[in-house]
Amino acid sequence: MNKKERVRKKEAGRKKEKQRNQAVRSRAETNGVPQEDDLVWILPEEIEAEGKRPAEQPEKSGTENAGGRAARKGQLLRMAGEALYNCPYLLALCLTCVVALTGFDEIGVRAAAADVGEALRQAAGGKAAASIAVIGGPSESAEADDARETDGAGNAETVGAEGETPADRAEKSEEDAQQKLENAGECKEEKFDKENEIEQENNNNIAENIENKGNAENGTTKFEFYTPIETDSPYYSDAGKIALTTEYPYAKENESYFNDAAFLGDSRTLGISDYAGLDGADFYCDSGMMIFKLLEADGVTYQRTGQKVDLSQVLQEKHYGKIYIMLGMNELGYGNTAMYLDKYREVVDRVREWQPGAVIYIMANLHVSEAKNNMETEFNNVNINDKNAAAASLANGKDIFYLDANPLFTDENGFLNADLTFDGVHLYAQHYDAWREFLMEHAVETGAGQTKGKDGGRDETE
Amino acid sequence: MLFSSLGFLFRFLPVFMILYLFAPAKYRNILLLLGSLVFYAVGEPRFVLLLMCSVAVNYGLSRYMFWEPSSPQQNRRAKTARRRKTALILSLIVDFGLLFVFKYWDFAAGTVNSLAGSSVVPLFALALPLGISFYTFQLVSYQIDCYRGVIEKPAAFVPFAAYICMFPKLISGPVMRYGETAGRMQDRRVNIRKLENGLKLFTAGLGLKVLLADRIGTLWSTIMSAGPGNLHAAVAWLGAAAYSFQIYFDFWGYSVMAMGLGKMLGFRIPRNFDSPYAARSVAEFWRRWHITLGSWFREYVYFPMGGSRRGRLRTVCNLFVVWAFTGLWHGAGWNFLLWGMLFFVILAVEKNSYGKWMEQTRVLGHLYTLLLIPVTWIVFAVTDLGQLAAYLGNLFGVHGDVPLVGVQQLARYLKEYWMLLIACAVFATPYPAKLYDKYASRWFTVAALLVIFWLSVHGIAAGDNNPFMYLKF
Repeated sequence: MNKKERVRKKEAGRKKEKQRNQAVRSRAETNGVPQEDDLVWILPEEIEAEGKRPAEQPEKSGTENAGGRAARKGQLLRMAGEALYNCPYLLALCLTCVVALTGFDEIGVRAAAADVGEALRQAAGGKAAASIAVIGGPSESAEADDARETDGAGNAETVGAEGETPADRAEKSEEDAQQKLENAGECKEEKFDKENEIEQENNNNIAENIENKGNAENGTTKFEFYTPIETDSPYYSDAGKIALTTEYPYAKENESYFNDAAFLGDSRTLGISDYAGLDGADFYCDSGMMIFKLLEADGVTYQRTGQKVDLSQVLQEKHYGKIYIMLGMNELGYGNTAMYLDKYREVVDRVREWQPGAVIYIMANLHVSEAKNNMETEFNNVNINDKNAAAASLANGKDIFYLDANPLFTDENGFLNADLTFDGVHLYAQHYDAWREFLMEHAVETGAGQTKGKDGGRDETE
Repeated sequence: MLFSSLGFLFRFLPVFMILYLFAPAKYRNILLLLGSLVFYAVGEPRFVLLLMCSVAVNYGLSRYMFWEPSSPQQNRRAKTARRRKTALILSLIVDFGLLFVFKYWDFAAGTVNSLAGSSVVPLFALALPLGISFYTFQLVSYQIDCYRGVIEKPAAFVPFAAYICMFPKLISGPVMRYGETAGRMQDRRVNIRKLENGLKLFTAGLGLKVLLADRIGTLWSTIMSAGPGNLHAAVAWLGAAAYSFQIYFDFWGYSVMAMGLGKMLGFRIPRNFDSPYAARSVAEFWRRWHITLGSWFREYVYFPMGGSRRGRLRTVCNLFVVWAFTGLWHGAGWNFLLWGMLFFVILAVEKNSYGKWMEQTRVLGHLYTLLLIPVTWIVFAVTDLGQLAAYLGNLFGVHGDVPLVGVQQLARYLKEYWMLLIACAVFATPYPAKLYDKYASRWFTVAALLVIFWLSVHGIAAGDNNPFMYLKF
């Protein structure tokens, strides 16, 4: 049977099918009874008698095989025309697929992003290492490994157990730090060079107003070390350390402390805005906010008005006594830790420049629950610790402090307590009270800075 | 592998369809079987073996049911009947046994342990094999149909295995009976027109899943993240509405995708949803929601027990059994049992009093259903009983002194989601599907579907590259 015959048969079959369909349809119409096949999603042309095939035409002898090329070409053209007529969607889809795959490889996007990320990471690696890994002497890592041998498989582990108060924890971490000093050399955070570059428009620079209360340890941001695990991700690597709250004799304040405070952050900060009852503070945050987007024009929502604002402008106009920043969750799968740190540093620098009188608090990103923790993806506490450690490296213990609220909410393995969360990421509304208490207990008294902030607070623009 | 993944859309589906279209008709079943196993193995490499064993054992037992000894024997009839019964019982034990071990063991053992006050029975903590509830029900329906004589002659192995493992419906249904597709397992036509129409349906389903269900799902997740117990009644109802939309468009979208894929392959996969939220009573809702599951329970549980023909008391008993099992089928947990029982109560009351009358009313029936169904979905969605009680309390205005999630958050949610909520409400009516049927072959439908397809792909790709796109922190 040659092609021509086959096509003819097909056509005959289609014609018969059409007739039958029409018959069925007219029957359905005249009876007024909806046929099962007429119901939603089933197209009329699909109506067909089960199991029956269109009657075949009797085979013809081979005399027609001599049909010329032209005729065949015509047939092909007609077939193509019919195909276009019959299946425009299929063709359009194929066409757009080809365009999409050659134009912007939708499937390969991830691989490409990974390659670029890897390249960037390698390029920035040296830089990041310089800024993060200043802690401890050269022999530190091997000895720290020894010190942490008991940690087992090298899983991230925080010091604080559930239910410990921050004070307990500070004590404990001090002990830990003592041990580490013996074991692993000095764990002292390097002072931040760029500090000197900051323009000091104002004489009462905040750092000068904050008294250092004698203790040599004050103002240091310590890290807890463990054996890092191998990670194969363009987004992060296991830094092998967990940043701890900057050591400082914090004062306990009440809600009024936050009357000249601004919070910058993502949905967790939105949670603080919604549920922590800090009505005096200004919140600039959005679900999905990233450090990379924070200072963009109309980049963030001012929660008091619900309007998008340009944060760089706002921070130049208003004066705040305290700036709390917590960002990093949405960056877990974006860029890499070195890029994150660079951007974070830039943000902190700008904020310092615009708000010379403000204490800057860098808040640790909360861990996720065990169920949400996924080592297969970049969505895990190792990555969060990596980001947190990077952000914590910006703290100087003078006017920039790192606050880690994780011990309040995590279990002994560092996972967010499953009882406190629905999605493994966000706390239930009622638990933000504990967070507020934590912030009130970790207040840095700013002396002149505070009063100044209060005088020239929000009212300027409202 | 999920239908709504780039791997399926751009790798598995095109490669498989090309092979399938160009393969000679007699090889299509084996190709379908192998393709389906690959499809299954990508997500669940371990459980492919379990699936194959299940299929093989069931096939053996079904052949045993039809086995006729060649030599003439005395009382052959009685022996045949006994053999058929043995085969049926064995297959039921195997099928339900596996389902029980994998899905219900820990739940049952946990219950026993908590009753005994100590750990009498060990917990297995087994992972749930993908689609086990669906394929088990199809295996059982095949065996019972064989036993009953609905299936008159046994299928060959490859068509049987291909029917059970067919990838369009392997993972989440619809539950298709062998009789519905037996003819097409033997002989089916595949043509470009079916391919075209199937692809269109598939795209429509993909849009429902990715553009509606996944996105409205974040509203539900946001509200639940704040925590039941803290919600203002309006927020609680908004959450219930969001979840009702999410579960509907997710499941409906998946079913429509299955229908589309089935059509592309030359099958006709039965419709699973018929605008359930347009129902005027809960009974009608269940005639429109997950239709194939409902008919399975009716056919193999409710009717054999006598249905509603043995008096009022017996009917209520039968309803009780059916809804206890329906609840548990959806998940091993107390809330699912509670959910089933809730429907038992509602349906028993409806059947014996206002049900028929309610279906005649125009507005009242809709209002009644639309208020009741979201509440049942909350019972379904919130698995922790304490939280469930808190959420139900919130729905009716019971909360702490001041609800933490109040009017201010409600305004923000509405501002962010109002367009999506309207779209969901529109697509929950029967009209979009009717319009689709009417204009499916018009150019503007083609253009719209093209846009939907690429929007969905964009959504999936963005979600893949950034797993948090739909769950922004």
